[in-house]
Amino acid sequence: MSEGDLLHVVETDNIGPARRSFGLALIWGSPLVLALVALAQILQTFGGMDFGFENWRPTLYAYVFYAVCLCWGQVLVKGEQGKRILFVLPAALFVVSMTIFPLLFGLIIAFSSWNLSSPDGRQFNGMANLIHMWNDPFYWNALTNMIWYVLAILPEYVVAFALALMLNSEIRARKFFRVAFLMPLMLSPVAVSWMVGKSMMETRFGPLATLAKHLGWSNPTFFSTPWLAKTTIMLMDAWTFIPFMMIMILAGLQAIPKELQEAARVDGATGWRAFWEVTFPLMLPVSITSVLIRLIFKLKLADIVINVTSGGPGGATDTVTSFIFREYRDRSNVGYGTMLAMVYLVIIIVVMTLLMKAADRFMKSSY
Amino acid sequence: MKVGHYEYLVKHGLSRRSVLKGAASVGALSMMGGITSYASPALADDALRQQILAIPGVGKGSPTDADWQKVGELCLGPTKANVKEGEFKGVELTFMGLNNQNLHNFLFRGFLKSWETYTGAKINWIDLAQADYNPRLQQAIATGTVDFDIVEMGAPFEGDTAGKGLLDEMPDWVKKQIEVDDYVNYLKPPVGTWAGKTYRVNIDGDSHTFAYRKDYFGDGSISGLKEPPTKWSEIATYSAAVKGKKDPLTGQDAVGFLDPLKGWGGFGFYFLEDRATPYVKYPGDPAWLFDPETMKPLVNNPGWVQAIQDVMDNIPNLPADQINADPGTTAFQQFLAGTGSSICWWGDVGSSAKTSDTSVVGDVVGFSINPGTDKVFNRKTNAWENKENFAPNMAYLGWGIYVTNRVSKDELKRKAAWSAAAHLGGKDLSLWTTAYPSGFQPYRNSHFNYDEWAAAGYDKAYIADYLGSQGDSYNHPNAAIEPRIPGIFQYYSVAEDELAKGYAGTYKTAQETADAIAAAWEKITDQIGRDNQIKLYKASLGM
Repeated sequence: MSEGDLLHVVETDNIGPARRSFGLALIWGSPLVLALVALAQILQTFGGMDFGFENWRPTLYAYVFYAVCLCWGQVLVKGEQGKRILFVLPAALFVVSMTIFPLLFGLIIAFSSWNLSSPDGRQFNGMANLIHMWNDPFYWNALTNMIWYVLAILPEYVVAFALALMLNSEIRARKFFRVAFLMPLMLSPVAVSWMVGKSMMETRFGPLATLAKHLGWSNPTFFSTPWLAKTTIMLMDAWTFIPFMMIMILAGLQAIPKELQEAARVDGATGWRAFWEVTFPLMLPVSITSVLIRLIFKLKLADIVINVTSGGPGGATDTVTSFIFREYRDRSNVGYGTMLAMVYLVIIIVVMTLLMKAADRFMKSSY
Repeated sequence: MKVGHYEYLVKHGLSRRSVLKGAASVGALSMMGGITSYASPALADDALRQQILAIPGVGKGSPTDADWQKVGELCLGPTKANVKEGEFKGVELTFMGLNNQNLHNFLFRGFLKSWETYTGAKINWIDLAQADYNPRLQQAIATGTVDFDIVEMGAPFEGDTAGKGLLDEMPDWVKKQIEVDDYVNYLKPPVGTWAGKTYRVNIDGDSHTFAYRKDYFGDGSISGLKEPPTKWSEIATYSAAVKGKKDPLTGQDAVGFLDPLKGWGGFGFYFLEDRATPYVKYPGDPAWLFDPETMKPLVNNPGWVQAIQDVMDNIPNLPADQINADPGTTAFQQFLAGTGSSICWWGDVGSSAKTSDTSVVGDVVGFSINPGTDKVFNRKTNAWENKENFAPNMAYLGWGIYVTNRVSKDELKRKAAWSAAAHLGGKDLSLWTTAYPSGFQPYRNSHFNYDEWAAAGYDKAYIADYLGSQGDSYNHPNAAIEPRIPGIFQYYSVAEDELAKGYAGTYKTAQETADAIAAAWEKITDQIGRDNQIKLYKASLGM
């Protein structure tokens, strides 16, 4: 052991062969116990054998037993080094139990016909849910709508950048405007739905409708046609989340050294040229990050749609999540709803991975 | 009684004189306690009913927990006749119900307080918000984790519970205690029963009625009709006639009948049913949603298509943003605010007309049973018949108390559960719940004794008009009774999605819309299990 390592050792390890063997037995024996209990439960559930289990808790207890033995075994076998592992291992096991297991359970449900009203309970149905999804016009309609909603991020980004530039400049009441522009982000989308979508846009007495009447729109309706409704939903969502992108971009702007702007000005760059040649390129990493995070928020869009239009008129504002909500909650169609959610998850992961790769390549080639 | 009804009646249905008159009569009755104790049982019953109607007294504010406890104690007589004091000592029961508007379970706690003291049983409570109720119930059923002995439940869920053998059959002594013969016609079997067995103690009634603006009708009115419409054809005519005219009350654009065009978690389908039932509910034939032999949907037969077409024809007459108006918006933000002149809804609209701050129509609202038609489609002959037909829509069928089969193997616990349910559904106690804020509407013939209401201090003319439309609907010989099959709200929910496409013009015709609903319903039936659905549907229709 080098002197550097010794500096961090508080106890000299003296691991005997018996302790080591016991530790190894714990590490390798406990998963065996877990596997046997799980196998017995699976056989009881699907194989018609009876081991006296009333629920799946024995497998859970076996997993906890395995986790404890694994941690204990690390200390027994590796001594001080094992104790260091304990700083991470329980957290890793917890994450696995909170993500991997539910995901596996979700996959089982996704390939099942499980309508809560069916007396037969959950039935494995192979690819039927996928085929149903493929032929489901409501799902494709929602996916198509999502493309339009996602494209709306681009103008949202432009507005957010403009607001951030404004708040970064020396304007009066800058602090007030920073807080004021952040307010919509602090509101729950459900509150936005009722305050804006249901009240301010109310056709007869809503203030926005009244304003529209004063501006010459004789019969202002914000959700009466498919494209009008879609656009209004986009605007409400943008109003809520533009401050999020704005604040990220503002933080990036404030991190740019003032000397760079001053040097550009000394070199004779005008305001537009200084922005385009200096500020914007320096802001690209922050911009890409804010757009990608906004994309994740956008793909989850549901609450405003559910509260204001229920996906209408005729599905024009439906999102994948609001459709899944109806399928799952209103129709108790757990199997199909889970499959839709799983497919959407895969789509999101693939799209986000491709976008991040593309952004990474773009950044590397540019700088 | 719904909270809104009570506030309405108190604010506008009572004069000071009538309140004093009611109080005086109740006071006189209470002073005659010594005399009434020697009177006949009928007189004693009347005295008790007058006595509970005076708690806390009409016009004396909303009842409190102390009032609920007092009413529960006064109405304990039938329980004492069937249960000895302390008989259920050591028995614990779990009761699952709602906590809407701090009513339902909150009232039940008060009503059952004296019952617990007398019998020795203890009740544990599961309180649920309305939105959580269906998922909680369905998940408990699907995962085999029913953890309640008594449940407050709507009749549409009987398919999900009784149909799966999860409920305990009502003992005969309970039927006698709660006097089931007093129920209004539509709540008598087959409602509350499965395969000939009774499971439900009624505590509520539901039906849609027709609420209209009186100032739109009469000589020289803007509709051109001398009397309020009673047929859908008249409604179509007057809705087109008032378009372009000004509302006599608000001065805004006049609008005829209000059709809600946006979904409402499945509940929106009830409003198409209002239009469809007189076209498709053939007298003597209980089936109007599905063919009971095959579960083939009837929703795309000519009668239903006509109803959908009627809605589509009315769309140009509706307010501009109506495509985004759900039933709640239509009733409470449009009709009550002076937009639109008629609507089909539960009892709340009429009472909220004056109590709601945004309502402007309180003095001009009238009621009747749902409109009828001049033709009806006979599904058996597959042909229209030109004859007048009415078929009031018994939307949702009201709340009831049920006992689950968790208690079936323990006779003492079973008796305790049924005793608690019977106490809540007792004849006298139910009079109080219909007269004061409780969340429940009348459901017994004895509730329609208007003299009793008048003696308690209510305005008889108003009660006769308002409750009369409900009573006429309940007892109508051709009332359209909702099928109590598993997943009924799944059918309604998917129908809303397809209707929204039809109303938005995605589907070209009413027939195409109806066919899409039928196809979606077929998928649900196949998924839930067709043979089982047929069996349960027949059972729910009493076939």
